[in-house]
Amino acid sequence: MKVFVRAILLCAALSVAGAQAADEPAANDEFRSIDEDVQALKEEVLELNRDLFLLEEELLFPANSQVAFFLSVDVGEYFALDSVTLKIDGKEVANYLYTEREADALRRGGVQRLHMENLKTGDHELVAVFTGFGPHEREYRRGATVNLSKGLGAKYVELAITDRAPKQQPEFDVREWE
Amino acid sequence: MNGLKSLLLVTLCSALALGASASSSLTGQEAPDFALKSASGKNLRLSEYRGDVVMINFWATWCGPCRQEMPLLDDLYTRYERVGFKLLGVNIDDDARRAMQMVEELGVSFPVLFDESKDVSRLYQVEAMPVTVLVDRTGTVRHVHHGYKPGYEQKYLTEIRSLLRE
Repeated sequence: MKVFVRAILLCAALSVAGAQAADEPAANDEFRSIDEDVQALKEEVLELNRDLFLLEEELLFPANSQVAFFLSVDVGEYFALDSVTLKIDGKEVANYLYTEREADALRRGGVQRLHMENLKTGDHELVAVFTGFGPHEREYRRGATVNLSKGLGAKYVELAITDRAPKQQPEFDVREWE
Repeated sequence: MNGLKSLLLVTLCSALALGASASSSLTGQEAPDFALKSASGKNLRLSEYRGDVVMINFWATWCGPCRQEMPLLDDLYTRYERVGFKLLGVNIDDDARRAMQMVEELGVSFPVLFDESKDVSRLYQVEAMPVTVLVDRTGTVRHVHHGYKPGYEQKYLTEIRSLLRE
């Protein structure tokens, strides 16, 4: 009798163990897939967080999208400034007429903040058209085109009018301040 | 019919009221600054006359009252220029040459500026011809006159004298 009971118990134990052994891989797979899902979700959250951070930085710091344009005149013997027109990506953003006093102040070393603009990051085309009087009181109109690459952070651009003594001509230069 | 009449009357009244408020909305405000090319070739900027009493007169060659008014304004200008009165005649024609002809014809001596793009006229809400704006020494618009009728020059004279005294 004892032997019979033992045999039954053993069988029962074996069958339970067998059933457990069969369930274990399925549960493991499920855990693994949940774990993978959680990992993927975590990665997505991190990515989203990074994107939001960058977006926030771009949106919340408008100064970063600013580009300031300055005008300076160095010497100015060969050019009397009359007006400057500024175009960004084909759109006129500033048109400034200079009075005698203003032109004189620039010749004396003044720097004028001509325009402030909010620009998206990327490449932009800047066209500056200078009109005035060149040597021998001749009317003078010259354009300067430059491609601006706007990254993060504020940008400062100087439109400089200088004299080119050997040629007795004015020179128009667009410089980016570091 | 009566209903239609009263509707028309109300519309007319509101249009007049709107017109009146538009004409006076600049009064008491800082005069919008501008720079324009003048007949002499120089660029003139309003803010450079801060400290003087400035009259800005918007005119056009096709405007009859302007032709009447301008020589009278020139009299005021020659009389009071040396005591700090400036007059800027802003022409709003599309073609500056015609304006120059009229200036020569009338023989006026005050600076004439050209607002071919009409930007300045828009700034000053010029909806009639002529429009005369008086700006005090601090750069504030004090009087705005729309149109011209004989006798207005007396009003201008009184206003200029009172602003010069301030």
